[in-house]
Amino acid sequence: MSLTDLIYAGSNAVAGLTEGAVNDAIEKYGESHAVGYPDTAYFLPIIYAATGVKIKTLGDLPAAVGILKSLITNKDDLGEALNAGLATAVGAEIIEAIRYLDGDPYAEDAGIGFVSDPIIRSLGVPLVTGDIPGIAVLLGESADPKTLAAIVKDYQEKGLLTFMVGNIIEQASEAGVKMGLDYRVIPLGHEVTSVIHVVSVAIRTALIFGAVEPGKLADFLAYTKERVPAFVNTFGPIDEVVVAVGAGAIALGFPVIADVEVPEVPGALMTQADHSKTVETSLESRDIKIKVTKIDVPVSVAAAFEGERVRKDT
Amino acid sequence: MSNEILNYDKVAEASLAKAKRDGAETMWDRKAAQKTQCGFGEAGVCCRICAMGPCRVSPVPGKGAERGICGANADTIVARNFARMIAGGASAHSDHARDIVHAMHATKAEGPFKIRDEAKLRRISAEWGIEGADTKETYALAHELAEMALGEFGKPFGTQRFLKRAPQARQDVWEREDIAPRAIDMEVTTLMHSTHMGCASDYESIFRRGMRTGMADGWGGSMIGTEFSDILYGTPTAKASSSNLGVIDKDQVNILIHGHDPNLAEMIVLAAENPEFIEMAKAKGAKGINIVGMCCTGNEMTMRHGIKIAGNFYQQEMCIITGAIEAVVVDVQCIFPALPALAKKYHTRFISTSEKAKIAGDMFIKFSEATGLDNANEIIKIAVENFPNRDASKVEIPDIKQDTLVGYSVEAIIDHLDKVVNTNTSDAMGTVKPLTDVIYAGVIRGAAGVVGCNNPKVEHDYAHVTVLKELIKRDVICVVTGCAAQAAAKAGLLTLEAKEMCGRGLKEVCERVNIPPVLHMGSCVDISRILHLVNLCADVKGIDPALLPVVGIAPEWMSEKAVAIANYVVGSGINTYLGIIPQVLGSPNFTKLMTEDCQEFLGAHFVFEKDPLVMVDKIMVDLEDKRTALGI
Ligand code: SF4
Ligand code: SF4
Repeated sequence: MSLTDLIYAGSNAVAGLTEGAVNDAIEKYGESHAVGYPDTAYFLPIIYAATGVKIKTLGDLPAAVGILKSLITNKDDLGEALNAGLATAVGAEIIEAIRYLDGDPYAEDAGIGFVSDPIIRSLGVPLVTGDIPGIAVLLGESADPKTLAAIVKDYQEKGLLTFMVGNIIEQASEAGVKMGLDYRVIPLGHEVTSVIHVVSVAIRTALIFGAVEPGKLADFLAYTKERVPAFVNTFGPIDEVVVAVGAGAIALGFPVIADVEVPEVPGALMTQADHSKTVETSLESRDIKIKVTKIDVPVSVAAAFEGERVRKDT
Repeated sequence: MSNEILNYDKVAEASLAKAKRDGAETMWDRKAAQKTQCGFGEAGVCCRICAMGPCRVSPVPGKGAERGICGANADTIVARNFARMIAGGASAHSDHARDIVHAMHATKAEGPFKIRDEAKLRRISAEWGIEGADTKETYALAHELAEMALGEFGKPFGTQRFLKRAPQARQDVWEREDIAPRAIDMEVTTLMHSTHMGCASDYESIFRRGMRTGMADGWGGSMIGTEFSDILYGTPTAKASSSNLGVIDKDQVNILIHGHDPNLAEMIVLAAENPEFIEMAKAKGAKGINIVGMCCTGNEMTMRHGIKIAGNFYQQEMCIITGAIEAVVVDVQCIFPALPALAKKYHTRFISTSEKAKIAGDMFIKFSEATGLDNANEIIKIAVENFPNRDASKVEIPDIKQDTLVGYSVEAIIDHLDKVVNTNTSDAMGTVKPLTDVIYAGVIRGAAGVVGCNNPKVEHDYAHVTVLKELIKRDVICVVTGCAAQAAAKAGLLTLEAKEMCGRGLKEVCERVNIPPVLHMGSCVDISRILHLVNLCADVKGIDPALLPVVGIAPEWMSEKAVAIANYVVGSGINTYLGIIPQVLGSPNFTKLMTEDCQEFLGAHFVFEKDPLVMVDKIMVDLEDKRTALGI
């Protein structure tokens, strides 16, 4: 299958799921039932940013679904395929919002799910100053948990903010990676749709710090491309939905580095099967230069460890 | 005078109005004087290759005379005429190349003919299997390579050395279909033989022999011309230049170099830098010496030195009509014999320099490898001394010029592609993989080589520019050479800003690689660069180039060289679109062979389409079909 075919297969699947979820939710709760995320002033932030529309109730959603479906043209054209990637992001945002209808869907999950506005505000300054030199989004399940953990620790040491989605969360934590905001490693969730919460972070960064006007999609894309130094690493085989999500990342200007064979696009989508080179490949792809020179000490030294508490062994 | 056909071009309108005022004749006057052109010649069914003729047969099967006196029918006559166009074109390119190789044979460390790209000299020598290619003394090696290259023109056995650059799959096709070209001159000669009265009459056989002669051009003459020019004068690198008649400077001594052969042009460029001449120009009241180029020699100079391009083929007269040209210096090919008479209407001196193209009417200074720089000095002196003769009242230079980027040799393109290679991946530097990657991923849909001339049968530059604009809009990256490249330059397509005219995918590629969406790859012989590039791409994937979503296009072609080019491009497995219909329609069989049947055995065919917009539609279907077949 060609790359665009893969993207459309994934985006169409997500569109179908979204439509189904919206219809089911309306049937269950009625159109006037409120829908939204906790601790945010930006409604469904991606939809708000892209269209300026403030989604408040379930009744607002069918129109949004209409828009996202119209973005999926199935045309063999990169611009159109990237739009389908964005549509996938919108779909995921809606699906995730609906999951929040029944209370916190992440209560039982190792992931935190939606990232609140206060957290984003707290990350703003270190992002702007370059103290957080980049944002790594890790996704999937690794065939080799040890090297996965090494990658995460390397990002941690370099002060990057790492978001994780999928079984790699357990894999990394079992291999001794410490997680939490303080460690700059944030597990998001296990469903592939939970990756949307990091897109939401990028978008709200543009809203909050970039003062980009809601509805000006092109400005958002320019902001994320130029100002949000994020990239994506995928682990293990990738399905069509992941490719469609990846297209969304590329639309935001974030390169995707997979550890399996993909149709490569220089600078945007590439294969790095050798995990010992994943970090360097990713940093180069996003042109991230680490400010501080690595100090040669036996323990990791980086800002990510500032919040660490030294516990006594019981 | 049908000036309406030039509506598209603002510069042309003013120039032609001035020509009228000055009482100067142009190609449009002569075109009008031709009245309706002969339908028999147009259909290719007129034969005059023996003295029993001329014969003309009916272009409509079953009606009127069906055979010439010898019994040749429309199929045979059309095929022979077409084949002889190929022979004409292939010999022009090959003879050009031969001169370059001779110049290389005359190189010495003290110059003026020197080795300027030694790395390339060693690379090509190694490619051709010269032992010690990396250790031999530079000039000994250059002379050895030159001698070997001269062998390519007349060696008794074997095929062209550069054919090995193609992937095995394509070489197999050539072998199987017997179109792998042998010695270049042999192919031309044997084709002239076959098309003699009473020789070949099988139109398919003549087509194949013509194809092989075309191949001797692309993979022989032209490729040798390009590669050896690079060795002698430097491999082009990306640089800025400027184009259109506005580059003529009213305050300087303007010298127009027109023709093809870089040997002459390079010597002129060298001579014009001589401070003595610059002083001399100042003493005559000029601010300096301004060399401007036209047609392919203009392309050669702009690719290597950023010399400004005054215009393309159809502007050669307009250039003189500005009244500001001190000397028109020409060598060979595509030079209107009308120029000396036109020059006489002004103060312009017309200087022809090649024994092969002695043009009557003004001055002849014989240029040779032995006396190259002296000849150039003499020419510059004549031009400078002519400056005071300029009639200010007749000077009118259109105030139109366009910044442009040029110099995209295969080497320069790879250099740019290297910038997007992630150094931590297994991808090697110095390859075209990033280009094949974006094609395979569908970021760009394919690639097109847009080449060829101008032709008064169509609105000048309109088809070139329309095809280019429409293709880049549809995410098809374009490379250009010849007069098509100059049309693109004038239209502003050879700029980084032109990315705004592209589809999203191509725009993205232009931004990341830092290139214009349309890349100037040089002169007409430099179409061999395009062949090389396409074959490198096919190599990355290990496939026959015929499978790649790539097309060749000659929107406004006119010369026999263009016919030779179209043949070798099709022979190389690339579908070729012609915006001017060749003189073959008098034989429906031969037409079908070219446009359909040869697909079967060559994996490519010709497409005739006059309307540039319809042509683009057909090209997109073609490219998408190729993509589907590849599963990308
Ligand atoms: S070769 Fe035949 S067709 Fe041609 S001019 Fe002679 S007799 Fe006529
Ligand atoms: S493109 Fe055609 S007109 Fe222009 S220089 Fe080449 S052969 Fe001559």
